[in-house]
Amino acid sequence: MTAAKEQARKVHPEHLENLITVNDLHKSFGDLHILKGINTAIKQGEKVVIIGPSGSGKSTFLRCLNLLERPTSGQIILDGVDLLTLNEKGVNFMRQSMGMVFQHFNLFPHLTIKKNITLAPVKLGILTEAEANNKAEELLEKVGLYDKIDSYPSQLSGGQKQRIAIVRSLAMNPEVMLFDEPTSALDPEMVGEVLQLMKQLAESGMTMIVVTHEMGFAREVASRVMFMDDGQILEEAPPAEFFANPKNERTKLFLSKVLI
Amino acid sequence: MSDFIQKLKDTFIKDDRWKYLTNGLLNTIIITIAAAVLGLIIGFVVAMIRSTHDKTGKLKIGNFFCRIYLTVIRGTPMVVQLLIMYFVIFKTLSSKYKIIVAVLSFGINSGAYVAEIVRSGIMSIDNGQFEAGSSLGLSYRKTMFYIILPQAFKNVLPALANEVIVLLKETSVAGYIGMEDLTKGGDIIRAATYEAFLPLLAVAAVYLIMVIILTSLVGKLERRLAKNDRR
Repeated sequence: MTAAKEQARKVHPEHLENLITVNDLHKSFGDLHILKGINTAIKQGEKVVIIGPSGSGKSTFLRCLNLLERPTSGQIILDGVDLLTLNEKGVNFMRQSMGMVFQHFNLFPHLTIKKNITLAPVKLGILTEAEANNKAEELLEKVGLYDKIDSYPSQLSGGQKQRIAIVRSLAMNPEVMLFDEPTSALDPEMVGEVLQLMKQLAESGMTMIVVTHEMGFAREVASRVMFMDDGQILEEAPPAEFFANPKNERTKLFLSKVLI
Repeated sequence: MSDFIQKLKDTFIKDDRWKYLTNGLLNTIIITIAAAVLGLIIGFVVAMIRSTHDKTGKLKIGNFFCRIYLTVIRGTPMVVQLLIMYFVIFKTLSSKYKIIVAVLSFGINSGAYVAEIVRSGIMSIDNGQFEAGSSLGLSYRKTMFYIILPQAFKNVLPALANEVIVLLKETSVAGYIGMEDLTKGGDIIRAATYEAFLPLLAVAAVYLIMVIILTSLVGKLERRLAKNDRR
């Protein structure tokens, strides 16, 4: 526990019941106002699925949560710490507890699968080389990709790459996993294996925030579905209620287009 | 035929004239290796400063000085830089040390080109690689060293090799400050024998052989690196 984290914890004890609290989050790129005041809270173990039309700001919101995009204003409180008050070191430290899975996998092409998984835990001094290797083997066994341990990313299919990317994040023992359209770049027949792994992850109790267009996944796995449009959260509800009985007009319009 | 053999003897054997070429070759090799090492170091540092500025917006002052360096070095001829270095900046230095002046000049010159080659390599790596590193909690520096630079280096290796080859040939202007390199050695023989064809042909052949050896070494290195991403 860093001093910065300790200090910040005292500042926001009221938020400790939530894993992540987002207050009035704004993000602009120059004149372009992308996020226009996001307010939400995410509890430990929740699976939040964010849906919405493209350009609605859902990916930007996700990328703001681990500060890949620096928000223009607002608060993001993780474990009682306001991330926007942290210095660079503090941000890097907090990112260790937030795994992220990207649309284009972003595996390290010059490293073997094993090295892809063990690089961060070893270089950050969290695990020794031997511990990290054991962990990599254990995780690969679990996702059925143990035979790829010495392969390079270019030798894998898209679905396999994305499962490795998930494993790479898991090796850091994150508190929460962020998924940025994890199946959008995949061939259709490979979407299933990735969603299956995400489902297993959800069942294991991982806190997950998922931006996706997979309505089936949202319906089945989400504890809450969040609809975003024009930089705001317009509606959030458990999936049964959300899909059966949307309240917002724009949600209805969106669902009528995607569900047919 | 015997005429030609006589010319060969006059050009290379008489008065041990071949020594002009071997001593010159030695100087050319020393200058090239030392300047290449210096250029790589300078180029690497400048590239890190420039790309860190481009990626994060930090190091504004460092970036400013790097840009001046690049503009001046790439905007003026090598020979002029060498002359300024020898006759202006180090004019009080004993001429014994002119090889050091030559190494400094060629190294500083080469560094500017290496810097832009390395920077282009770093910028060519997909931003997703930086993001993946950051999202795992790796610092900018760790991401750079373990993820970006290994990939960037592999991408720019042919360009870097090319820069060393250019440097090797560029050292032929060292004669301007009285350095007896390979080219100057051939020129001394030409002046002594009034025979231009043979000494210059020999000089050209030696450069060509060195470049061919360098090229094949780089090819080997490239093939070894390429093993990492078999398809």
